[in-house]
Amino acid sequence: MKIAIEELAGCSGCTIAVLDLHEALLEIVEKAEIVYAPVIMDVKEPPEGIDIAFVTGAVRNRENEERLKLIRKRAKTLVAFGTCACYGGISGLSMLDSPEHLIQHVFRGVTTTEADAVIPSDVPPFLYRAFAVGDLARMDYYITGCPPKEMYLKKILPALLAGEVLALSKKSVCSECDRIMGSVEGWKMKRRHEGVPDREHCLLGQGYLCLGAVTFGRCGASCPHSNVPCHGCNGPSLDILREPCRDIYNMMIRRIADLTGHTEAEIEKEMYDVAHTFYPFTIGSLIMEDKGISKIRDLVRERSR
Amino acid sequence: MTEITISPVTRIEGHARVRVWLNDEKQVERAHFSVVELRGFEKFLIGAAVEEAPRITPRICGICPTSHHLASAMAVDQIYGVTPPETGRKLRELLAHAQCIHSHAIHFFMLAAPDFLIGHDAPALSRNVLGMVKQAPAIARNAIEVRKLGQRITEAVGGKPIHPSNAVPGGMSRPLEEAQRTALLAMAKQGLAIAGEGWALARTLLDATDMNLGAVETGFMGMVRDGGYTLSDGTVQITGKDGKPLGSFTGADYVQHIREYSEPWSYLKFVKLSSGEHYRVGPQARLNLCRGMGTPLADAALKEYRARFGAFVQAPLAANLARYVEFLASCERTVQLLEDPAITGTKVREPAGKVVNTRGVGILEAPRGTLIHDYTVDERGFIRECNLIVATCQNSWAIDRSVEQAARGLVTDGVLTEAAGNRIEMVIRSYDPCISCATHAIGKRAVAIEVLDAINI
Repeated sequence: MKIAIEELAGCSGCTIAVLDLHEALLEIVEKAEIVYAPVIMDVKEPPEGIDIAFVTGAVRNRENEERLKLIRKRAKTLVAFGTCACYGGISGLSMLDSPEHLIQHVFRGVTTTEADAVIPSDVPPFLYRAFAVGDLARMDYYITGCPPKEMYLKKILPALLAGEVLALSKKSVCSECDRIMGSVEGWKMKRRHEGVPDREHCLLGQGYLCLGAVTFGRCGASCPHSNVPCHGCNGPSLDILREPCRDIYNMMIRRIADLTGHTEAEIEKEMYDVAHTFYPFTIGSLIMEDKGISKIRDLVRERSR
Repeated sequence: MTEITISPVTRIEGHARVRVWLNDEKQVERAHFSVVELRGFEKFLIGAAVEEAPRITPRICGICPTSHHLASAMAVDQIYGVTPPETGRKLRELLAHAQCIHSHAIHFFMLAAPDFLIGHDAPALSRNVLGMVKQAPAIARNAIEVRKLGQRITEAVGGKPIHPSNAVPGGMSRPLEEAQRTALLAMAKQGLAIAGEGWALARTLLDATDMNLGAVETGFMGMVRDGGYTLSDGTVQITGKDGKPLGSFTGADYVQHIREYSEPWSYLKFVKLSSGEHYRVGPQARLNLCRGMGTPLADAALKEYRARFGAFVQAPLAANLARYVEFLASCERTVQLLEDPAITGTKVREPAGKVVNTRGVGILEAPRGTLIHDYTVDERGFIRECNLIVATCQNSWAIDRSVEQAARGLVTDGVLTEAAGNRIEMVIRSYDPCISCATHAIGKRAVAIEVLDAINI
């Protein structure tokens, strides 16, 4: 069994998540040979005959795209590993600006740069947009999470290597959260940093924009558990993935309206910074953008003007 | 026309390549370390509610997400005018050390050590941590064990082992429970024992190594607290390459001391002192600048390090050992913090509300060096300007010059063998570059080694 890890536009956190299997990793490498993983080994190109390849990161430049196509060719089974691969991840936020604006700003527009600084030219060009890997190549499996969590990888990876299919929870973050709803009265939207939430009750009910209801689980609701609202880093919940008329934004608005008795129009007025609060992990995904009701297209258009 | 390229540079965090240009006599004319990806956090954070930054910026880097999380949270504390209570501050310090334990362990044992323990000219397929599992299983198991300590602390205190969530404006989102403290302390003591035993190996690691490989001379920058070693809550000091003090800063005044510039062949920005002098950051810089480590094992190791290399060290490869001295310090400090009764205090957070200051600058020492998050916001707390100064940009001139210096000695008759190429990569690895951080980059494949012909330019 030959396995490989390819890294595209991301942070290496998904490779670290594999190392975070700790001693369990030793059992895996007894059964499978890692033949390509540039962060930890010196093989420079993916070899032929890979059984399972994990691709992490999004596609943002031409080199990412070429690497994705190569690993697809050389691997029998290709797994989109982590939220960037599945939905574009944080890298997708770069879609809020044109590549030209982004580059000009980074090299000439910040406090410690000069207005006439060199703009790198001898470097791989950006693609016109960000992509999730599944937008550009056929995937056999998706493992979401930013990054995927140890307790699930300990189940998923041995099963993959053994050619077994697991029945794991496909529910939302809310299904893993131990908070109680209680009654919601005098609801008012709060910014995520305001005040101190109580530990017992639903964060959304307390006025915090917690994305648990629209976010795929398998994280043990770790942020709500730590008294921090969910930011949606596992990507959309299954119902949103399945139903064209359901999107992160509209389902959140509907849920808050149901919860509070306010109208959806009233709720929408309270929302702020929709790009970074609703879509920081999914803005680069073509399938999320292609939903008729998605806000992504408007956000991109508004910002790139 | 000759172009030799090593692409990607492996066993580093991120995508880079090295380019070397040869002249007619097949001698190295010049060489560059070049980074081919860019993500643009400094641009796409503009417009964001600033409290989102501590959640978004960890995604700059999966190896040092905690450093970005904390620097960002410190900047946002200032903007909302809130100071974390004592326990909140101590939990954050614990996170900073857990970050160093994990990152230094991964670099020392899993990325760098295979060059020294398996051999820099060993076959590429075995010259890695998996080769170590087979050839040096005890070391590999210890490495796994001690790195796990760093990640378990980050999970318990920060909420998640990778991309932690719990540093919030005004402190931490939850206290550490007594049961967690007890379990972590037992792990920390075991980790410290492993780290202490590991020094016997670490101290000999460079014995057979030519310390002139990649030699470069620069000034240095790093944080100290009362003259001693620290990762946070100190003063950033700067020295010239002769060791003379050149100034210090603690906040927004950093702007007076450094300037960024760029080159056509890399997305990696460069940082130099306002005087034009180049400098380095990271373990070697911090050891050059501090009086002592403040903990017994690390101080003893520092004494040996200085006896061997001097009190002010320029050789880039020495960073491999400097990193281990810091690793010991973080293991020791972690035990101290977990033994401190205040660590389980329940007052961990001061409530935040409206914007108090329109600018916040968070500075701390990340594993790879001084990290600065500088946000300017409007009156509602939406980011208008964002500047991120990360370690690898500050080291990029030195890495680039080290690559050229090493290439000059390693290209023979216009040929760079695989083993010689790996020697160039060894020098790069000694800086522990983090390309994702440096380009706040999209992706991981930007460091390559290219050898080109000078006539071609």
